[in-house]
Amino acid sequence: MQQRFPGYDVMSQAREWDPVTQAVVQARLGPRPALAFFTPPEEAVARPLMNRLLELDEGPAVPVLEGIDQRLATGQLDGYRQVGMPPAPEMWRRSLVALDEASRERCGREFALLDRDCQLLVLEGVRTGGDFGGMPGPEVFAAWLRFGCTELYSHPDIWNEIGFGGPAYPRGYKATSPGIREPWERADVAPAEDPVPIGARMEQARKRHLDGVAARAAK
Amino acid sequence: MAPVNRPRSVRDRNESAWLLPKDGRRCDPALVEGMRRFADDDVVDLVVVGCGAGGGVLTQRLARRGWRVVCLDAGPFWDPDRDWVSDEKGSHHIYWTDPRVIGGSDPVPLGSNNSGRGVGGGTVHYAGYTPRFHPSDFNTRTADGVGQDWPISYGDLRPYYEAMEEELPVAGQSWPWGDPHRYPQSPHPVGPNGQIVMRGAEQLGIDVRVGPVAIVNGGFGHRPHCIYRGFCLQGCKVNAKASTLVTHVPDALARGAEIRPDSMVTRIELDDAGRAAGVVYIREGVERFQRAAAVAVAGYAIETPRLLLNSATKRFPDGLCNNEDLVGRYVMVQGAPQVTGRFEEEVRMYKAPPPEVSSEQFYETDPTKDYARGFSIQTVSPLPITHAEHVAAEGHWGSVLREYMRDYVHWSTIGVLCELLPLPDNRVTLADEKDRFGLPVAHFDYSQCDNDRKLIEASEKVAVSILEAAGAQETLSIQRYAHLVGGARMGATPSEGVVDSNLRSFAVPNLYITDGSVLPTQGSANPALTIMALAARAADHLAASR
Ligand SMILES: Cc1cc2nc3c(=O)[nH]c(=O)nc-3n(C[C@H](O)[C@H](O)[C@H](O)COP(=O)(O)OP(=O)(O)OC[C@H]3O[C@@H](n4cnc5c(N)ncnc54)[C@H](O)[C@@H]3O)c2cc1C
Ligand code: SF4
Repeated sequence: MQQRFPGYDVMSQAREWDPVTQAVVQARLGPRPALAFFTPPEEAVARPLMNRLLELDEGPAVPVLEGIDQRLATGQLDGYRQVGMPPAPEMWRRSLVALDEASRERCGREFALLDRDCQLLVLEGVRTGGDFGGMPGPEVFAAWLRFGCTELYSHPDIWNEIGFGGPAYPRGYKATSPGIREPWERADVAPAEDPVPIGARMEQARKRHLDGVAARAAK
Repeated sequence: MAPVNRPRSVRDRNESAWLLPKDGRRCDPALVEGMRRFADDDVVDLVVVGCGAGGGVLTQRLARRGWRVVCLDAGPFWDPDRDWVSDEKGSHHIYWTDPRVIGGSDPVPLGSNNSGRGVGGGTVHYAGYTPRFHPSDFNTRTADGVGQDWPISYGDLRPYYEAMEEELPVAGQSWPWGDPHRYPQSPHPVGPNGQIVMRGAEQLGIDVRVGPVAIVNGGFGHRPHCIYRGFCLQGCKVNAKASTLVTHVPDALARGAEIRPDSMVTRIELDDAGRAAGVVYIREGVERFQRAAAVAVAGYAIETPRLLLNSATKRFPDGLCNNEDLVGRYVMVQGAPQVTGRFEEEVRMYKAPPPEVSSEQFYETDPTKDYARGFSIQTVSPLPITHAEHVAAEGHWGSVLREYMRDYVHWSTIGVLCELLPLPDNRVTLADEKDRFGLPVAHFDYSQCDNDRKLIEASEKVAVSILEAAGAQETLSIQRYAHLVGGARMGATPSEGVVDSNLRSFAVPNLYITDGSVLPTQGSANPALTIMALAARAADHLAASR
């Protein structure tokens, strides 16, 4: 994967931030408490799940599952739930069981034991399918992804990956027009890399590939 | 035209901005710790439930009139220095996230997209757009055959709009739409996202204006100028953006009101004569009862109906004031699709406040269209987590999601606000499930009607065309909602509304509702300024009635 902002380090600016924000962001880089919500068998499914949903190997290591565990253990949740969906903690437990079931049904083994292709196939089935462990599959998929994105895109190492300027109090921003940057921000080295056609090609390749995998799995 | 910059007269009626510290701290602990305290047994003149947009203004107005007011809020008394951060994930604690159930054919996600919790309420994390409603909003039933006529007209609210615009204060260009008017502070310089939107609109001949935003331009009392840091939806640590925590609470405290935080009201009690006697609330785990000569509820479009429904009595077996089966009905939300476009140049939309420029050119009913009412267009600038949710909503995940997100600095975003119509079955009821306090939680059903769907589709096309005209290589559209109001609408008669034109409930003579839940229709303007204006007007009525 090509780096778009090589050498960019948002934490080099941390001394410019107010101490409360500094502490909150720094904590994401420091040690995490041991898992408190997920049981070991659940963790064994949830880790590869997050790896596939967010392709965590493609960039810096981010403790996504640890962050989700902390939110679930301490009740930092959105509160609302849709009719037909249980509260988030129960949704997680039930969905991890259902994921293993779907994996066995589709590809003959538990999710963690599947190769990458089969994992993608099972997940695409949840995203576009119907009932999943007594819950609507697409809703479960969206909830997994929402939890995951909150952890991934709050991590300073990922801010470096996407070029985001980060917290800005009390200094604020001064270069506030398109095409210009603060002195400490880095330019995108590949501004022509429009992700829409790239993404469309990737989605198409994934689909063709998964059709093949599905055909093989069906045999 | 309102005269520009009249700080003296503002200070004479609301000293809040001058009561904040001058030394860079954002909150004066002496004012908060030294506030007057009432005992539960004191029969105060008024108890207000919720210190948000409506509750904060009402409390300040009546404290100024010498009323003994206690305002209870379920959440904390914020100190922006200590409690807020410039960070998306780290701001979870400022939202109301108690359990709720959503349903209907178009369920409305809540979480960070509903009320706040704590002193300042939703104005702590609102974007800060403060447009007025248009005169046409007050009689859509008569003029357009949809929605509901208000029991008041635009002219009744106009002086209160003007007063609020001076007190917040609002910055923006002179406003050509609705009732044309000017703003007390001049427009802010426009950041990258706003510049792109203005560029596209100009190409198409769409009139956009800078503002109107309740963000200090230049300075106001001891509140400083905005530093263009883009974290308005996470609470403004600068005190530049107006929230009732800085615009009305300091003056209320200085005039002898008590604002009691961490106090969850669970029930409104009536006396034998059928008048409100006070409220039951839970603080530090202990159930208490605050006595009062009058009660005003201002807990937001979901919590207000829920509290009324949870306050059922023998006389009101289906919920307080619900004798006409109106409590919890006609809850509205604006259709708020966002369109984000890709530009080869770096945009970096996270700089500058998300609320920058807007257009109300499409606000009114257009007889050539097959739908009634209209929409407004505004800039929004999602931070990374929110942008990722938009990408995910398009169906992207895994490597493709990562690829889109690496491109974050190239995207610019427009939001639209569509006037969706009030429908009786879009309603808040009580679920079987209970919260931490043992109270049934709110169940909120929402379904769109045909007019809603047509309007949303049309508005999205305009937003796409603006970004394309600005040079976007690609656009993505995301369906979402914004701004819940309604659920205890005002009406001319008890069969039309829960409250009358002065926000007094028809069923209980000393019970008022002074928040967004009283709106009969919502226009396509953001609601906070109208909620504040209504609360200020209700305060005049209350003061006059004593
Ligand atoms: C992301 C976002 C952006 C927004 N942007 C804008 C914008 O740009 N412009 C605009 O005009 N509007 C905006 N809004 C909407 C605006 O915030 C609300 O319309 C407004 O704050 C509603 O005012 P209110 O008085 O009805 O309730 P709120 O301001 O929400 O206040 C309700 C208060 O009541 C308290 N409360 C509730 N129940 C109880 C109880 N039982 N006991 C004690 N206390 C209780 C809560 O803690 C809260 O503090 C935005 C909203 C969101 C979520
Ligand atoms: S951009 Fe301005 S108004 Fe918004 S949070 Fe920052 S300082 Fe406050």
